[in-house]
Amino acid sequence: MSFNHHGGGRRKHYRDDHERRDIYDTPEQRLRKSIINLGEVDPTQELERVAKQIRQQVPISVPAITEGFRIGVTEQPFKIPYYAALLRLLHDPSPEPTDEEPAPGGPSLGKQVLEDYWKGFQAFLDKLAWRELRLCVHFFAHLTVAGVISSQSMFELLKSFTAVLEEFGASHGRAMKAALCAAEGLMMAGPVIKQTPGVDASEIVTMIKTYSESVNSTKTLVQPVVKLFSDETVIEHADEILDSAIAALGILEASDFAQTTDTFPQPYVDFPPLESEPFELPSVLVPPEVIELDGLTTEDGEDAQVKKEEWPAYYIRLFDNDVTPDPTTPVGYAIRSGLLDLVDIFEVNRKECARLLLEFPKWTLPGTFKPREGAPYAEPVPGKNWDLETTVLETILGSVFLLPETTHKPIYYYTLITELCKLMPKSAGPAVGKSIRKIYALLADGLDVEVAQRFADWFSIHMSNFNFGWVWKEWIPDMSLASKHPKRVFMQHAVELEIRLAYYDRILRVLPEAMQTADAGVMPEEAPGPDFEYDDPARPYHDSAQSVLNMLRGRAKADDVVAHVQSLKNTLAEGAEGDVNVDAVVCSIAVQSLLHIGSRSFSHFLNAIERYLPLLRSLAGGAGTGAGGGAAAHHDARMDILGAVYAFWKRSRHMVAIVFDKLMQYQIVDPTDVIAWTFAHGGGRGARGTFDAFQWALLKGALDKANGRVMIARRKVAALRKEADDNAARAKASETMEVDAEAKPDVIPAAETPALNTALKAFATLTREQKAALARALDGFVDYLVLEGTAAAKTREVITEKAWHARASWDEGEWEAWETWCWFRHFVRAYSPYLRNYVNTLGAVSLDRIGTMSDPAVDLFKKTWSIATGQM
Amino acid sequence: MAHVVTPLDQPSNYKDSQARIDRTKQNEILTKSTTLYVGNLSFYTTEEQIYEVFSKCTNPEDGGGIKRIIMGLDRNTRTPCGFCFVEYYTHAEALASLRYVSGTKVDERIIRCDLDLGYREGRQFGRGKSGGQVRDEHRADYDPGRGGWGAQAQRLEIERRREVEERYADAQEGPGAVAGGGGDWRESEAAPENTLKRARSPEDEGDSGRTGARARIDPHADHDANRI
Repeated sequence: MSFNHHGGGRRKHYRDDHERRDIYDTPEQRLRKSIINLGEVDPTQELERVAKQIRQQVPISVPAITEGFRIGVTEQPFKIPYYAALLRLLHDPSPEPTDEEPAPGGPSLGKQVLEDYWKGFQAFLDKLAWRELRLCVHFFAHLTVAGVISSQSMFELLKSFTAVLEEFGASHGRAMKAALCAAEGLMMAGPVIKQTPGVDASEIVTMIKTYSESVNSTKTLVQPVVKLFSDETVIEHADEILDSAIAALGILEASDFAQTTDTFPQPYVDFPPLESEPFELPSVLVPPEVIELDGLTTEDGEDAQVKKEEWPAYYIRLFDNDVTPDPTTPVGYAIRSGLLDLVDIFEVNRKECARLLLEFPKWTLPGTFKPREGAPYAEPVPGKNWDLETTVLETILGSVFLLPETTHKPIYYYTLITELCKLMPKSAGPAVGKSIRKIYALLADGLDVEVAQRFADWFSIHMSNFNFGWVWKEWIPDMSLASKHPKRVFMQHAVELEIRLAYYDRILRVLPEAMQTADAGVMPEEAPGPDFEYDDPARPYHDSAQSVLNMLRGRAKADDVVAHVQSLKNTLAEGAEGDVNVDAVVCSIAVQSLLHIGSRSFSHFLNAIERYLPLLRSLAGGAGTGAGGGAAAHHDARMDILGAVYAFWKRSRHMVAIVFDKLMQYQIVDPTDVIAWTFAHGGGRGARGTFDAFQWALLKGALDKANGRVMIARRKVAALRKEADDNAARAKASETMEVDAEAKPDVIPAAETPALNTALKAFATLTREQKAALARALDGFVDYLVLEGTAAAKTREVITEKAWHARASWDEGEWEAWETWCWFRHFVRAYSPYLRNYVNTLGAVSLDRIGTMSDPAVDLFKKTWSIATGQM
Repeated sequence: MAHVVTPLDQPSNYKDSQARIDRTKQNEILTKSTTLYVGNLSFYTTEEQIYEVFSKCTNPEDGGGIKRIIMGLDRNTRTPCGFCFVEYYTHAEALASLRYVSGTKVDERIIRCDLDLGYREGRQFGRGKSGGQVRDEHRADYDPGRGGWGAQAQRLEIERRREVEERYADAQEGPGAVAGGGGDWRESEAAPENTLKRARSPEDEGDSGRTGARARIDPHADHDANRI
């Protein structure tokens, strides 16, 4: 284990004197380090030595020892069984007593440490630091088996966690984490708990089971493999974490926890029984969740605070049970949970994380994983002997594909995999390849669209780190599938992402010939780039566009350009034949010209629009140019602007998203405008009624913008309120010349400063915009999926079981409709915390449009909505 | 959490050598910084490629996003010289880039990221003698993504070539331009024979400098992160 000063591979470097690290550690630091570094070579061998070192410390500092244990247990959970063994050893009387040793009859050193450790556990409990709590429970569970902790008190501890499951209104996140504490503790301590008189271990399992069943309805919404017609919670290619824990516990119970020995290392098991009385864990109560309410509501009094709700966690399963362990068995569950903890804890340093993941077998029972190449031969253990790299990959990808969102940013997991491949190219590389093939195969069997999106994202990032070396030719046969088949959509999308990360010719080079041509539908026809509609002198409005372009190129003043555009409008209106929408034409000319001068790079684009913001504002109808005024005209103007952007960048669609983002940032258009455009005009091939990944990117960009603004406004109000409170408190304190101990800050009314008033007004405006954006999106899906006349033809067909089983014969229309359903599901689950706040208004406005109509599509739509908004 | 390993988002030894702020103040700025310095880029990497990678660390739902990208340019030629600044809206996004993106490949080169004090006018230009970055002055390796040899090496090369070219600049045509060198001993002195040879012209030299075309880059060249 690398320690602070020699970890990370950073160069030593000069720092100012006052920052320089002490070269020498204090004896306490040295001791702490020894405890943390326990087992770097051979944990079992080292136990006695470290125990001796701890005892020889003069003077003995119990807090320093405890801190070593606390850090070791919560940051290196794979060592927990050995920490339990070490603490067990410290309970024995010292073989060579020093003056420091507790007098005979007094509490042993081990007991003192454990008492101190318990205080730390209480502190974790107060903070509701769930991961630390769970790992401490592991430690206590091992100590229970080692005879250090009384099994009765351990059982009570587990039960205080299951008590959370019976709380009224406990969030799923809280309940799930509490349940996992209880479940994992029971897996480890089961053998002794089972033998404790008057204790029924199955009580715990039953409670977790009951809870898990109570959230069954939410499970279907977050399964990585979709079956629109099914309510089944157990699915083939993924398993829910609580349900896996329940299944594993079921197996353990059936054998009276005989399998625990086969699942977790128990290095203390051969130690002689403890002579003193075991430690009684004090009883605890899991404190309630503290939600800091700032009391900010929308104008309509809706609670605008976002409570991120956690969902049941389905981890995808890619390989057979003989390649990677089955997580619904005790040992499979333990391995996955151990790996997940590593991935989570070491998020701060992906390189170290990769190293530790590859060292994981060292901390498991012998024979768990196949020995490394070159390692001495070991008799394979039947039913084990799994492949480490494949198991690690499956676990990390399980985290990548969690719905609705990952714990850490997806890019963390991608680059963690990159590090694994750098450390072990020979074994991790093939594991990546196998995983890609398995996930690719699942595309045909209902892999969720958001999961497919992350898959393409990971694929492209991974390939960009490894010379884009993928064997594309094995997918050539799939090119005969329907063009909207998920496999073909994936190929297209992956290639598009790769081009963005590299460049067109680079990616063209790695593709087999059959995929290089444009009609293969994998590569775009030409390199992505701008399309200035008026470039060609033969095109209509070429001259008009040139006149605008010349002004922009000559860096004419924005006001002059505005005036010129206005006169251009008049000229064109006079000469217009038929029903030409002059406003739209002029808008398109101006916007495209602006994008044209900014097309060389992102910075050029920013410079261009920043210089001509007045022009854009006037086009958007914000400057009151007398464009007829009225909301409808403004709406049209903004649709024209967005349309012009799309026309210009349609061959480079991520640029559309980037430009939209900045147009929202500069407040030329609102998120609601972008969402309206996305539903009205964002569909591929001009077709209406279906929704794809490109539209999702635009929708997400707009919703995140609206939500982000509310977040900033909220923080601003909070900061100003605090400032006002502080000022008031200070004023009051100086008035009375002493701080009144009785006065609480919230008693003093916050002075309504002008700044605070402005901030509150902004908050009101932004929450209104947020609600409008969410409503527009929900409306869009109502139109696309259920409303007669606007919904795509196939939306009603693809949701039945029969249709799904006949998907081999699906054409474009069916796949598009299916994809639209999937994006709707993702919309409601991803934005559920926001939707919940406005559930009544949104439900009333959008769902009322459906009326009392009832058919399977309407039912599915309403059911999905109800689950996501917590009404089911 | 970080007793066991050093987090990757800790400030490194990177600094703006021309910053005129005291160290304590600098550290304070860095704890809030939203700007990243990104180094070891290829001269051919575009802002859009950078945007694509760095946008994976953004938190738009938290008011974040990429604010701007400032491409580092050669002072003289105004062409990219292998570094840039990425400015986010929030500090957390800059830290996420240090943890997840720094040390991975962008445009097939391992990049390095560091927290930066923030962009100021003038910092977009290379500070090396030749207009590019200082590191490209002394580099002794051949790096096709960064204009071939380092600037010093290039200058040496140019110098050497200039010497070669100047050496014959006084070459003349016509009789007597080239010395005969004397032949075998002869009985009596005779007039020397004149050889007519064309003087070497500078145009014969292949062109040099940083004009490597994109296509010339070896895509499989692997670059060593620790070099920087």
